[in-house]
Amino acid sequence: MRKKQPTGEQVAPVSGDATGAAAVASTEVLTGPARSLRADAIRRLKKNKLAVAGLVWIIIVILVAITADLWAPYWLGDPVAIDSTTAAERMLLSPSVDHPFGTDKLGRDVASRVVYGARVSLLVGVVAVAIAVAIGLLMGALAAYYGGIWDAIIMRTADVFFAFPYILFAIVLIALLGPGLQNVFIAIGVLGWPSIARVFRSSILSVKENEYVDAARAMGSSTRRILLRHIMPNAVAPIIVYATMSIGGAILTEAALSFLGMGVQPPDPSWGNMLDDARSFMLTAPWLMIYPGIAILTTVLAFVLLGDGLRDALDVKMKE
Amino acid sequence: MAPLLEVDDLHMHFFTRDGVVKACDGVSFTLEAGRTLGVVGESGSGKSVTAMTVMRLIPEPPGKVVSGDIRFKGESILSMSEKDQRKLRGNRIAMIFQDPMTSLNPVFRIGQQIAEPLRLHKDMSRTEAWAAAVELLDRVGIPQAEERARNYPHEFSGGMRQRAMIAMALACGPDILIADEPTTALDVTIQAQILELMQEIQQRTESAIIMITHDLGVVADMADHIMVMYAGKAVEYGPADEVFYNPLHPYTWGLLESLPRHDVDDKGALCPIKGQPPSLINLPPGCAFSPRCAYAKPECDKKVPPLVEIDNGHLSACLFAGDIDFICQYENRVKRGEDSGGDV
Repeated sequence: MRKKQPTGEQVAPVSGDATGAAAVASTEVLTGPARSLRADAIRRLKKNKLAVAGLVWIIIVILVAITADLWAPYWLGDPVAIDSTTAAERMLLSPSVDHPFGTDKLGRDVASRVVYGARVSLLVGVVAVAIAVAIGLLMGALAAYYGGIWDAIIMRTADVFFAFPYILFAIVLIALLGPGLQNVFIAIGVLGWPSIARVFRSSILSVKENEYVDAARAMGSSTRRILLRHIMPNAVAPIIVYATMSIGGAILTEAALSFLGMGVQPPDPSWGNMLDDARSFMLTAPWLMIYPGIAILTTVLAFVLLGDGLRDALDVKMKE
Repeated sequence: MAPLLEVDDLHMHFFTRDGVVKACDGVSFTLEAGRTLGVVGESGSGKSVTAMTVMRLIPEPPGKVVSGDIRFKGESILSMSEKDQRKLRGNRIAMIFQDPMTSLNPVFRIGQQIAEPLRLHKDMSRTEAWAAAVELLDRVGIPQAEERARNYPHEFSGGMRQRAMIAMALACGPDILIADEPTTALDVTIQAQILELMQEIQQRTESAIIMITHDLGVVADMADHIMVMYAGKAVEYGPADEVFYNPLHPYTWGLLESLPRHDVDDKGALCPIKGQPPSLINLPPGCAFSPRCAYAKPECDKKVPPLVEIDNGHLSACLFAGDIDFICQYENRVKRGEDSGGDV
């Protein structure tokens, strides 16, 4: 509106129209289109190119993992079964049209194994973090809300967890429980909760101090309503961010455990145990190491970038 | 009929590691419908604690009502169940907080927050409550209320947020509105607007207001009665005009003298009250104000002076409040100040 200076051909508008137009314009400036918190967050997330790239990559990996059964065994070859009749002539082939990522020492297609490895990685990432978040949220909320002795017990327990070297603790746990995917979930979940609990506790504590919590009480809200409606939405954003980034961490931990032979057991593929297999052929057949390595790197990076973007997107007070 | 709100010898103490903090130590007042009580005192004098206790917003522990009672329409709030208290809060008694920047929840739209007490207490549907919230926003002077209700708190300025807070407090048509320093966080022009709005609302809704402030100027126009608090106790209580023109406690004198006045053309320095309020853990044995009082006598440190009626409905907790010579000292001093100021 402001740019429109009255030129020669534009007759100055009748005053009534002008004020009307100005009112409309100012309404737009003041309020903009009505949008929800979620729409707002999505809009902010879209502006962050790296986060969008991360999200796109994660979606691709998820789609690949879900649909693997439909195409991977036919186009690329079975990821697990070893065809003993042809194994000798197909082993350690370098990347080609038939085997885009090459083949391993037993003649299996690496691309197919990477695709199936994505299932393991995503599953571990999501399930283990879900376990950690579930325990962590509960513990953090208990510690923050009840305080006193509960706070002391829970947070000191968390400190004890922090005092152990993470990967060693995981190895000991799996040694006790026995190797296997299910126990990887448990180990990562159990080891992950203390940091979630810590983040959530401090988040609740800082939110609890806000006057709007008092205002909600003064309004007649019950304790439960205050916790769920007023404290949670304000305290949970750091958890979403932290959990997203943790998925990357969990994928990495699974890879490390599988690499050490404590996670997914051969012949089932996982990015970690593929790296383990590739160790002895690092120089002769580098593709064995490169492709699972790239898969781990890009997927973990994607989760971290997305988490970073979410942190900005979920902050209501973020300046446009 | 029982008065709207009766606070009877209320003792709210905090049991901390360092000792017992007597934040509110024997406060009594009554509030009639449609009236305004101004509660005045410096920081830490127990004004807010008194109000928060009426709302039952003090976490217990560390707080504890040691003795005394709060009655709403004759019924004791302290002995009510938590559920019944919740029915009062936000519904019959509402509160406006000091800092509008932090007292609105950042993740909800303004309209949703104003609608919340209606949904809680009046059983309204989402759409009904929203419509009512828009109407309330309009009533507290927010232009384009319909669109503005969709905004989030960070899209509102300080003054508008305080208007929204007032709309929220007014939502259920409360009998009592407790305003805890509602203008302290706002700039002066906005302060005047907010006070005007509150007065206007009071005239329209006939609700009683408890106005807590450290600024005597704020309550000067509004209050019917004024209670001056110091170190957890009421030191003076009376009709507003009486307290302003005929103050009967040296602390009130000090407050009045430390106030810049535009009706007195005195270019001299303001006269502050020297010293600091006492620690509420270790109160002096006698009058809590005596260490800072320019008129203190040895008797003042012997026992705590009771709040007694000096004049018709005008109470003071100073041993010498009834002493004509004593009062003259103050009046002479004020006169001297005005004389040196020139044309009054």
